Formats: sequence, C-alpha cells, structure tokens
Amino acid sequence: MLDEKSEERTVEKDLVEFIAKSLVDDPSGVQVNMIEGEKSTILELKVSQDDVGKVIGKHGRIAKAVRTILSASATKTGKRVVLEILD
Amino acid sequence: MIQEFEGKTEKEAIDKAVKELSLDQEEFDVEIVEAPKKGGLFRKGMVKIRVHVNEESAEPEGRQEEDDDEEEEPARPSRPARRGGARRAAREPLSPESDVEKEIVAFIEGVIAKMGYSGKVAIQSRSEGKLAIGIDSEHSSILIGKKGKNLDALQLLANVYAGKIDRGRLRIVVDTEGYRSRREDSLVRLARQMAEQVRRNRGSRLLEPMNPFERRLIHTTLNGLEDIDTKSEGEGLYKQVRVIYRGPSAPKQGY
Repeated sequence: MLDEKSEERTVEKDLVEFIAKSLVDDPSGVQVNMIEGEKSTILELKVSQDDVGKVIGKHGRIAKAVRTILSASATKTGKRVVLEILD
Repeated sequence: MIQEFEGKTEKEAIDKAVKELSLDQEEFDVEIVEAPKKGGLFRKGMVKIRVHVNEESAEPEGRQEEDDDEEEEPARPSRPARRGGARRAAREPLSPESDVEKEIVAFIEGVIAKMGYSGKVAIQSRSEGKLAIGIDSEHSSILIGKKGKNLDALQLLANVYAGKIDRGRLRIVVDTEGYRSRREDSLVRLARQMAEQVRRNRGSRLLEPMNPFERRLIHTTLNGLEDIDTKSEGEGLYKQVRVIYRGPSAPKQGY
C-alpha cells in the first residue's frame, strides 16, 4: 500500500521533470526533489540559472500551467501536490 | 470584412450581398445568422446572413466545393448552417510530416502519459502557422478540466514547447472530443444573443470572465455590427467583455 502510494507520487515527479526538460535549454540542469508530507507532496524544481524564466514564463503563465497539469494528474490519487520553483 | 444582409430567402439575401458588394458569390463566405422559423404563426421569415469577405481573396482550400454546392441548390434547408464549419466534422487524423510536428505530438503524448492517463494524439489539420491537434482519450473529461482549464494549460505548454523547437511562430491548438469547437459555437451564439438583447434594451451587458481567445471571439463575432460595441473590462488574463448598444435611439427593426 505504501509502495503504491509513493509510486503514484513518483509519477508527479516524473511529470514535472518531463515538462521542465522539454522546455529548458539545458535539460541536464533540471532537478526535482520530492518532499513527502502526510497530506501533500512538495515538488521542488531546480533548473539552470538561465532557464528559470523558461519554466516560470511571463507573469508566471508557464508555472501556472504546469501546476494546473500537475493537479489534474494528482486528482487520481486525491493527494495535494505543491510545486515550488527554486531560483 | 463582415457585413450583414437580409432577405426573404437565403438566395435573396445573398443576391443583395452580391449586388451591394459587387463581388462574385465565390468571393465571400456566407453565414446564416437567422433563419426563418418554419411553421411559425408569422411566416414573415426574414433570413439574415452575415457575409465574410476574404480580403486577400486567397481561396482557402475546400471552400470552393462548398460554394459549388450552393449554386446547385440555392434554396438550402433553412437550418442555421455555418459555412466553412467543416472543422466540426470528424476528420481522418493526419500523420506528422515534419520533425517539428512529430516532436510536438510526442511532447503532448508524453505529458498525458506522465500525468497517468491514456490518450492518442494526432494531427487534425494544418494550415499556415497553425497546427490543430486532437487527443483521443477515455480520460478526456479530466484532460479538459473545469471550463477547459486543463486543456488550456496543456495547449499553453505545447505552444511554449513549439516556440522552443521551431522559431517560426507555429500556433498549436489542442482539442479533445471537439470541446473547443463546441465552446466556440456556443460563444458565438452567446455573443449574438447578447447583441440582440442589448439592441432591444438599448443598454449593455457584461459577460462572464473569459480568456483572451474567447474574448477575441466575442469581439470578432460582433465586430461587423455597426450598432454594437464591445469592450473588455477588468484586469489580468481573465477579463470580462461588455456588449454595448451604440445605435440610434430608435431600435432598428429588420430592414
């Protein structure tokens, strides 16, 4: 049961990683850390300095879209997934 | 350019348009705004058409045959038809032609798969600078989301991705189960209803918050109406459109 749950969370981590790597110029600089809490999971996204704008976008439009996609994915499990973009 | 004409029949309205614009019938698109109510008590039945003149007079593909069709049977059934509305019909999916197209399809497929849903992604149509992509999925309602929120997010990411791999400003439209064309049709209908309403009340109406694309659709739908003005109000991405009556104070009745 526990294993299944953490597997589900890895799905979300993979999702963020996949999107971020697709959008940045330096995919090797993409790193996602997962911090699991009881009710929610925090995903910390780190990208190369020059790529930060590429995952945030003007007025945070890209970041917002990624979060929307993320919560659409998380509805399956009913878990709350929070995305934080580190810079 | 958009102009409206009226006639007792669709044919008469079109003839009027041909005469007034001094154009060949092949040179514009006709959209029926109001069809006579059949079997009604008042069989006055005026047909109102809206004429879209193609300024570059470049004939988009597939339009020709529709026009031919029309010449053969000028008295078409009076159901409100949308010329050029073929986009609604299910089409055979096209296979990706260029590397860019392949990569875009793969990206969208990848996102859906990583979201944990299944879905087939195919190219629906391509025209200059625009690529329409359709998702066939049993999870389409989740992929659409509330008011198309998830679909919009997916489309935005696809556009950002396309902008990165292809600098040629390719616009991507992502749709599933005809959601966008359904929404478009209902917005166009809403815009016309609101125009009629403010015309009757000689007032204005504020619509619900919409994204830029939806707002533009409202603006362009009502653009050709001289007595109707549209304005966006509010801040941010989701502004509201106000439809305002600007005509003479005497309500325009028919002709």
